[in-house]
Order: sequence, then structure tokens, then C-alpha cells
Amino acid sequence: MYAALFYFIAGLTVIGALGVALSTNVVYSAMSLLAALVGASGLYVFLAADFVAVVQILVYVGGILILTLFAILLTHQIAEIQVSNRSVGRLPALGLVVLLGLAMGAAILRAPWHVEPLAAATPTTYGIGDSFLNQYLLPFELASVVLLTALVGAIVLSRKELRE
Amino acid sequence: MEPSALGNVASLAYSLPEIVLGAAVVLLFLLDLVVTRKETLGDVALVTLALVVVLSARLLWGDSAALYNGAVVVDGFALFFKLLLALAAFATVWMSLGSREIQKNGTGEYWAVLLASTLGLLFMASSTNLLMAYLALEFVSLTSYVLSGFMRHSRRASEASLKYLIYGGVASGTMIYGMSWVYGLAGSLDFRAIHTALMSGQGAALPLYVALLLTLAGLGYKVAAFPFHMWAPDVYQGAPIPVTAFLAVGSKAAGFALMIRFFFTAMAQSVGAGVYQLVGGVDWSQLILVLSMVTMTFGNLAAVAQQGNVKRLLAYSSIAHAGYMLMGFAVLNDDGLRAMLFYLTVYYLMNLGAFVVVMLVANSTGREDLAGYRGLAWRGGALPAVAMAIFLFSLTGLPPLAGFVGKFYLFAAVVEKQLYLLAVVGVLNSVVSLVYYARIVRTMFLEQPTGGEGVVAVDWHNGLLLGLLTIGTLVLGVAWGPLIDFAGRSTHFLAY
Repeated sequence: MYAALFYFIAGLTVIGALGVALSTNVVYSAMSLLAALVGASGLYVFLAADFVAVVQILVYVGGILILTLFAILLTHQIAEIQVSNRSVGRLPALGLVVLLGLAMGAAILRAPWHVEPLAAATPTTYGIGDSFLNQYLLPFELASVVLLTALVGAIVLSRKELRE
Repeated sequence: MEPSALGNVASLAYSLPEIVLGAAVVLLFLLDLVVTRKETLGDVALVTLALVVVLSARLLWGDSAALYNGAVVVDGFALFFKLLLALAAFATVWMSLGSREIQKNGTGEYWAVLLASTLGLLFMASSTNLLMAYLALEFVSLTSYVLSGFMRHSRRASEASLKYLIYGGVASGTMIYGMSWVYGLAGSLDFRAIHTALMSGQGAALPLYVALLLTLAGLGYKVAAFPFHMWAPDVYQGAPIPVTAFLAVGSKAAGFALMIRFFFTAMAQSVGAGVYQLVGGVDWSQLILVLSMVTMTFGNLAAVAQQGNVKRLLAYSSIAHAGYMLMGFAVLNDDGLRAMLFYLTVYYLMNLGAFVVVMLVANSTGREDLAGYRGLAWRGGALPAVAMAIFLFSLTGLPPLAGFVGKFYLFAAVVEKQLYLLAVVGVLNSVVSLVYYARIVRTMFLEQPTGGEGVVAVDWHNGLLLGLLTIGTLVLGVAWGPLIDFAGRSTHFLAY
């Protein structure tokens, strides 16, 4: 039962991701992203990361995905893109991807991964808060400066020049 | 024997440069709302960076320490780069204050974003943790996208910014995936803990190799090394000139700093007498060696084929120089590192100098193409033309200029390690590079102006910076002792 559920959710994630990459229609891609993101949040649940799972739904599905959909709906002619650069052959690309895939597959199967014992499903919020303000204070603070600057930068780049 | 990392409060005393910089970013955002003369903000940025340089230099006399529970470290290596990076930002702000492009399109936010980018660079130079390294790198990338797209009316700048963003997104995505492999194998994000895990036999060669290759995508993208260089020509050409100089000198140096620290402290083992040994059974020095040869060859050949835009040519030249500097990386000892640090400093002087001349020409004539340099020496631009010739010959590596000394140390380290093939490829590349550097010099001196190019004037503000960089390039060509000593002392990582 446990394993079946895991494979169902993992499959949902992978199929969703494939849909994002392979669909020629941007709207379908965005909807596939929904499946991929919900699946990823399910995987977090399996890792006993309750807080991250919920935040994943709230932020990515509830916020970013909706914004993406709005951006698609409001953008003119986004569904039919003309790809102008077809100079790179598909066959060499396929060969490269297959080669890389084989190498990575072999590596994944052979790797002596560092295994942690499965944690009991206890609430993680306390630990996360504690880490933010102790162990990982500097990255936490730096992340806030990154977000501030990115916000200002995005506004600078996208605002229209006021003509006097 | 092994001191542990300092806590958050105790670390504050060691991070004054970062605190000042962070405060200045917020201050500039606020000042922008009340100050109407935007150059004032530039002056504030300039003073801030001078302060950062002084504060960083002051730490040279203090102890080394691991800070913030092992997120970053302050040691000789980090301080060397912090000084270099703060000076690069200082020169960029100086250039920006004298740039027509920035004056025309500049908004108040430019200065704050530039300082924020510098803050990211400082953290890149001192990160000892993959999480911190990723954050710092992404910080620098995000701010660089904004800086390179600042001229919103310019189609080229928008294209550059968008290309940079998409390419950067892919590169850092690949890198963080590689980092997740490293974490999966070693069970930690901390460089020292990764090292310990690999020493105790965790991890296997093939998965580690894949992980390193993926991680290298993000780092190689920052230093513009071969398969990850594609963004450089377009971005260098499209961005405002001071920003291009900042990317060419600052981002590249910080990328090297992070790369050196990650590979030398996590993926290698010091065996005494300044020699390092590989751990985990991954021969990444061979990988770097091949990367170095391909990068310099590609950069130089592409530069030879490049006839039009001088900024674009300097982009290919900077790719080639990333290749030269990787030579010092591949030899796996302190001599190589010392040569790299020395070369980075010299590269800072001569490359920045070349960009100042490009900016002077663009200021007066609005042109960046090679034809705009025709007879530069004979139409008021004698000073910049002579300076440019000095910088270009120094970039080629001709004596008695600083570039020669830099290359000499790099080649000496390579030959000492008996990597003759690498040395031969490097020398051949230097010869090839003379072709396109000399072409610019010939255009400036031997061709007569046709009359339509316009007069190039030098104001004292830009002239002063140009003079300082020229003197630096000349002096380091004959009296390099102090700097090479300083670089030699800075190759030690804190083994906390």
C-alpha cells in the first residue's frame, strides 16, 4: 500500500514534468506543471517534511502557478510561438541526451548514497524556525537581501518610462 | 587543534565590510526617494566601497575564523578576493560616474543594485557551504541580469539581459542539481564535512564525476569557461560598458574564488609543502586541464574571427583569459594558485583599463566598432590610444608589462608539474592572441582618420582612472615582488 502510493505520486510528478516539457501548447504546459508540483509536494510528505509540503502547495500551486497562468492568458499570441533557430540538429541532441542519461543512470544505480534512517512523522516547524535563527541565520538574512534586490530589479526592468 | 566555527553574534566583528555594504544598499534605496541629483548616490556608493576596501584590509592583520556556524570563513584567501572584488566594484562605480551611457539611462537604483551585486561577490569569495555558495552565486546572477539590462531603450541591452537570464537559469539549475548529488553522497553541505566524508571512502568515482560536472556548469558559467561561455559575447556587447567591465573582472574573479575553494578544500587533500592530492577517486584536475586548453583555444580563435565590435572582441578575449587562469588550477599546488591570484590581479588592471578606453571612445563618439578606433591617436585620443596599446600588449603577455609576469608564473607552474602539452597550447594561444590585439593597435596608430570619426576628448575624471590603471600595469611589469608575495601568502585556506 505504502509503496503503491509512493509510485503513484512519483509517477504523477514525472508525467507532469514530461507534460511541461513536451506539450506544444503553453497552457497545457502550465496545467501539467500543476500535476508536477502537487506530486513533488506528495514526495515531501513521504520524507516527513510536513511544513515544506504545505508551503509547496501554498506558494507554488497557489501563487506562482496562478500567476503563470495569468501571464499566459494576458500575453498576446503566446500559444503559437515561432521557433526561429533550428540550426542545431535534433539527432545530435538526442544522442547527447541518451549518452548523458545512460551515464547518469549508471551513476545513480552504483552510487553509495548517504542514507538517513526514516524520520518519524513529527512536526518540523519548530526545527525549521530554530535553524533559521541559529544554524542558518546568515543564509536566511542573505536570502532576504536577495529578494529585496530582485524585487527592485524586476520593477526597474519592467516599468514603462514616463514621458514628460 | 581544530577550532570550531564562531556563533552568529561573535561573527559580527569579522564581517564589517559586508555589514557596511548591506547597510549602504538599503540606504541607497531610501536615498533614491529623496535625492534628485542621482550622481550623489554614485558618490555615496564610491565612498562606501572605499570604506569596504579599508575594512577588508584591516582584517588582514586579524585572525582567520569560521563564521556564522560555518557558513562563511574569513582567511587569507577570502580577504585577497574581498580586496580585489571591492576594488573592482570601486573602479566600476568610478567608471559609471564618468559614463555617458549611465548618465543618460541611469536611475537611482543602479547604484544600489551594483553594491548589492558586490555584496554577493564578497560572499562568493568566502562561502564554505554549498547552500551559502549557491545563494551568493544566485545573488550575483540576479543583480547582473538587472545591471546588464539597465538601458531599457536599447534593444541590444534587453536582448543581452534576457539571454543572460535564460542561460543563467539553466546553468544554476544544473549546478544545484549537481550539488544535490554531492549532498546525497556526502550527507552534508559543508565543504569540510564533504571532505571528511570523501576521505572516509563515501562516494564512488562515477557518481562524483557526474556531480562535479553538473556543479561545474554553474561555476564555469560565472567564469565564462568553454562550454558554458555562450552568454558572454552577447551580454558583454549589450550591457553598459561599466557593467561589462564589472562582469569581466568581478564576476569572473568571484567565480574562480568559489571554484578554487570548493575544489581544493572539499575535493582535494593538502599533503604538505603546498601540494594537493585528489580525493574520492575523481581526477578533476585532468578535467580542468582539458577545459583550460579548449577554453583558451576557442576564445582566441573566435576573437581572431571577430572583426566588428571591440566589446565583443574583449568578451572572447576574456573567455581566453579564463582558459589561461584555469592552467593554474589544473596543477594542483600552491604555486599554481599563487600564479592564478597574481594573474587575476593583473587581469583586473589591464582588462579594466581596456574597458575604460572603450568607454572614453564611446563617450565622445558613441561608437564601439573597430572602425571607430581608426587613427584614434591622431584625433585627440593620443593618451587613451597609448594606454590601450599598453593594456592590449599586456593582455597578450609581452614583456616588460604586467601581463608577461602573470603568464610567466602560470607557465612556470605548469612546466614544473611537467604538463608540457598544456604549456605548448598556452604559448601557441598567446601568439594567436597577438593577431587580434595588434589589429586594434594598428587601427589606432597606423591608420589615418577619414574625418567622420569625431574627436575623442579625455576628461580628468576618467583620465585619472586610466592613468592609475596604466601605471599599475607598467609598475607590476617590473616590480611584481610585493604582489606575488601577497598572493603567495593568500593561498592558505583556513582548516577549521
